[in-house]
Amino acid sequence: MKKTLNLMVATVTAAALIMFAPIPGASQQKGGKGKGGPPGAEQYGPYYAAPAKPGEPVGRTPDGQPDMQGFWTPRFNQAIFEVQDHPTAQPGIGAGKGAIVDPPDGRIPYRPEAAAKAKELLAKQIYLEPEAHCYVSGVPHAAYQQFGYQIVQPAGYVLFLTEYAHTYRAIPTDGRPHISPNVKLFRGDSVGKWDGGTLVIDTTNQNGKTWFDMAGNFTTQAIHVVERITPVDTNNINYEAVVDDATIYTQPWKISGQLGRHPDQNMELMEFACVEGNQDLVHYTEGVGGKAKEKPR
Amino acid sequence: MRKHAVVVFLWIAVLPLAAQSYKAPRTPDGHPDLQGIWQVMNTAAVNLEDHVAILDMPAGRSIIVDPPDGKIPYTPAAAQQQKENFKNRAKADPLNVCYIPGVPRVMYLPFPIQIVQTPKFVLMASEFAHTLRRVFMDGTKHPDVALFWIGDSRGHWDGETLVVDTANNLPDTWLDRSGNFHSDALHIVERITRTDADTLTYQATLDDPQVYTRPWTIRMLLYRHKEPNATLLEYECNAYLEDAAKERNK
Repeated sequence: MKKTLNLMVATVTAAALIMFAPIPGASQQKGGKGKGGPPGAEQYGPYYAAPAKPGEPVGRTPDGQPDMQGFWTPRFNQAIFEVQDHPTAQPGIGAGKGAIVDPPDGRIPYRPEAAAKAKELLAKQIYLEPEAHCYVSGVPHAAYQQFGYQIVQPAGYVLFLTEYAHTYRAIPTDGRPHISPNVKLFRGDSVGKWDGGTLVIDTTNQNGKTWFDMAGNFTTQAIHVVERITPVDTNNINYEAVVDDATIYTQPWKISGQLGRHPDQNMELMEFACVEGNQDLVHYTEGVGGKAKEKPR
Repeated sequence: MRKHAVVVFLWIAVLPLAAQSYKAPRTPDGHPDLQGIWQVMNTAAVNLEDHVAILDMPAGRSIIVDPPDGKIPYTPAAAQQQKENFKNRAKADPLNVCYIPGVPRVMYLPFPIQIVQTPKFVLMASEFAHTLRRVFMDGTKHPDVALFWIGDSRGHWDGETLVVDTANNLPDTWLDRSGNFHSDALHIVERITRTDADTLTYQATLDDPQVYTRPWTIRMLLYRHKEPNATLLEYECNAYLEDAAKERNK
């Protein structure tokens, strides 16, 4: 019995991956309205519920941090597909809004050669999309990852436990410096500090192998991200992040979104075994670990 | 001479008691504080049983304390399966394709583990592939819905000891690189005790009537990473596997 159910879970996982991956040739979404979520959630895009109801005043952990512990669902429009506004639908990516609030046009301020590279990735090398390969998300992508996450605050740390790829992000808040710039990581190196009621997370040391989304918006090892996470009440957290990388952008840019508390108090994260059941790369070429004989066009 | 022997005897007899009398510092909610970055200094990841060295697999002593012969009490068919697994280990070891290691294997891999505690959870985060063990401490039961690569762990405190009950284990994980294995009937009870400031004593009893003739127990030490700059980095196994494949296909 257990075995049968497990197979069901595995199948669901594989199906989820296929659904969320930018499958070349997949039917396009129309009109920028995503699927998923409860009725009435369409205006907020895929996977997003309506804004959470106002909650109680924010409490404190035993060591005095504003208490954000619990399960949270990110609300960043359709940034999970493409972080910048994308009025034109692409294969697998419906038209929609991203999460960029600065610059005001909602677009990444690429230098020309970087813009060309992102365009090329989207048009011809979408099989390189890192999460189709089950790579962990970088920062800030991890903040608007689908399926949401649990925040845990033991003394001296804030942890984000993401359901996607059963992974975690541990942010020390004890004032330690960044690790050596020689060490590059998918997740980068994050250090946090509380600035009043706001958690400020500074992230460097990313390895330049992650994207912001499924649309070719790539990163380099020079990326520097400052996230500001402000609990408003027990049900709502405001999130913003400033992204800087002088090697590919003409100016720093900012994303903004909200986290809403998951209404189920008995919520438990399930195991998202990504590598173990990954079917995404079947669509992709052998050169990138897939089984397809031809490069998708 | 005789007196000397008695003294030695007493010293040996008292040693375990002395170890147990250590009282760990407490977390704000009053439980033993097991937090920190820990790692084994043994070769259990190669083989839980006594083993001589072969290429890329250093020798080591068995960490099995029961049965006393230090061997896994396999049924005859399972013993045969383990031999097959060992022979085919290059292709058959799930870790070689970067799958989630499972319990208890994740605890003695050559990668550090960070333990953090809150009133509701004990979290064990391994550097290997960002593998996370989430031990629920709220008195809830194992769900009857699914099997997991990392199993389902629910714990409670028994004085100084964290007791973790793990069920819902997928049968696809191995116990070590030598093909020691289990089925989906595996049930594990771990007992983790801080025996001094910088050491955890880790014990796990594995029961699986489909594969073993009786429950058996491993015991080992986890040592604290005391370097002031100790931190978990990452080992994103599947990414490196792809890199290696690309390198070969060049």
